[in-house]
Amino acid sequence: MNLSFIAYCFINIIFAALVSPFFMGIVKKVKALAQGRMGPPLMQQYYNLLKLFRKEALYSTDSSWVTRVAPYVNITVIATAALCVPLVFIPEAAYGISNVIVFLYLLATARFFMALSGLDAGSAFGGMGSSREMSISSVIEPVTIVVFAALAFIFNTLNLHEMFRESAGQVHLFDPSLVLISIPLFIVLIVETARIPVDNPETHLELTMIHEAMMIEYSGRDLALMDLSHAMKQTLLMAVLINIIFPWGIATEMGVAGIISAAAGFLLKGAALSAFIGLFESSLAKMRFFLVPNLIMIAFFLSALAILLEVFR
Amino acid sequence: MMAAGLIDGWVEALLALVLVTGAFIVSRRDLHSLVFAYTIQSLFLVFIALLLYLAHPSEVLLSIALLTLSSKVLLIPYTIKRIQKQIKISRDVEFHYISPTGSLFVTILLFLFVYYSFSGVIGGLFTADKISYTGAVFGVSLMLMGMLVTFSRKKVITKIIGYLTMENGVLLFGLFLTELPLIIEVLIIIDLIIMVLLVTILAAGMDSTMEEFHNRLHIFRRED
Repeated sequence: MNLSFIAYCFINIIFAALVSPFFMGIVKKVKALAQGRMGPPLMQQYYNLLKLFRKEALYSTDSSWVTRVAPYVNITVIATAALCVPLVFIPEAAYGISNVIVFLYLLATARFFMALSGLDAGSAFGGMGSSREMSISSVIEPVTIVVFAALAFIFNTLNLHEMFRESAGQVHLFDPSLVLISIPLFIVLIVETARIPVDNPETHLELTMIHEAMMIEYSGRDLALMDLSHAMKQTLLMAVLINIIFPWGIATEMGVAGIISAAAGFLLKGAALSAFIGLFESSLAKMRFFLVPNLIMIAFFLSALAILLEVFR
Repeated sequence: MMAAGLIDGWVEALLALVLVTGAFIVSRRDLHSLVFAYTIQSLFLVFIALLLYLAHPSEVLLSIALLTLSSKVLLIPYTIKRIQKQIKISRDVEFHYISPTGSLFVTILLFLFVYYSFSGVIGGLFTADKISYTGAVFGVSLMLMGMLVTFSRKKVITKIIGYLTMENGVLLFGLFLTELPLIIEVLIIIDLIIMVLLVTILAAGMDSTMEEFHNRLHIFRRED
C-alpha cells in the first residue's frame, strides 16, 4: 500500500465528512429562499451535529443491540464507500476498493441496517418507514445497477477511479451517452437520498415519512451519526455525477496545490449542484407513493438507452 | 465555419436530448409538462436543423428550422395552452392498454427493434455516415414513441401531443435522410391527420375522451 493511497484515504473521508453538512445546508437554504423564508444559516448543520454529539443517546426499552450498533455500522460503511468515490484526487492504485459493485453493496448494507434499526424498536412509525424504504429499494436498486452498468459500458471499466481518471480533463457535453446518463444519475441521487418528490426530509408527517421515520427513535450522538452518514451518502452520489459529467479540476496526481484547487473546485460544483437540488425540490410536489416507480422507470429507460447506444457504436 | 466533428458532437447530444423529451412525453401525466416537453423537443429539432445547415448549407434546412420554430415552438404550443385554459384539464390520468411505466419498457424494445431493422435496410450508412444513421434511428423511434402515446392515452388533447411527437419523429428522420421521397408523403399525410383532428376536435370540444367525443357527435347528428 503506497503513500498516495494512504493520503487519499484520509483526505477523501475527512473531506467528505467536512463538506457534507455544508451541502445539506445549501439545499435547505435554497428551499427556504424559494419559499420566501430566510432559512437557517449555511453552517446550521454543523451546529446541529455538534449539539447532538454532545447529547446523551436514549434508547427505547424495547430496542435491541441493533439500534445501538446501526449508527456506527452506517457511518463506517459510508466512510468505506467514500473510498470508492474520489472527491478531490484520484490515487495511483485503488487496491480493489474502487469497484462499482463494492460501492453499490456498501450503500445497500447501510440501507439494510437503517431499515433494521427502524423496525427494531417496534414503533409503528419506524416499521412503516422501513417497509416503505424496502419497497422503494426493491425498485431503485436494480435501476441503480443498470445506471452504473451504463457507466461501465461507456468507460469500459467497473473501476470508479478509472472512470473518473478517464473523464478528467475531457469535455463530455457532446457525448450523447453521458447526456443520457446524467439524468438517471440525478434521479438515483434524489431517490437514494430521500428527497422530494420521493420523500420529504423536512417533515415528520405520517403520510410523507420514509427516511425520517426510520430515524425517529434516535437521539443524541446516534442521531448525529445517522445524519452525518446520510449527508455523506448524498455527497458521494453527488461526486459520482460531478466527476463524470463535470470532471474538470479533479487532481490526478498527489500534490498540495492540485489537491487544494481540486477541493475548491469540488466545493463550488457541489454547492451549485446542491442549489439545483434545492430548486428541483422546491419546484415539485411530493409524488404519490405508487407513482414513484414512474420516476425510477425514466432512470431505467435512459440508462438502458445509453447502454444500447454504446453497444451499437 | 464550425468544425464537422464539433457539429456532429452537438447533433448527437441534441439527438439524445430529443429522446429524453420523448421519454417525458410518454411518461408524464400533467398537460403543462407534456406541452413544455413538446416545445423543448421542437426547439431541439430547430437547433439540429441549424447545425446541419452549418455543416451542409442548404436553404431547405434553413426553411425547415424557421418553419419548425414558428409553428411547433411558438404557434402550436400557444394554441394548445389556450385550449387548456378553456377546457380546464390539467392532468391526463387515464390510459388504454398500457401504463406510462409499461410504455417506457415498450419504448426500449421499439428502439432496439428499429436499430436492428435499420441495420438490415440502411446498414451501409452506419459506416459511411454514422450521424445520419443515428438520426434516422432516433427519428423512427421518436415516431413510434408518439404512436405509443396516441393509443395509450385516453384524453384527446394528449393524443394530439402524441401525433405531434410522431410528426417530430418523421421530421427528424427526414432531416437525416432527405433523399427519401416517401417520407415527404408520410409527413404530409400525418400533417393532414393532425389538421383534421385539430379542426374537428376544436369544433366539438376537447375536454373529453374518445368515447365521450363519439357520443357527442351522435348527439349532434340526432339534433340535425
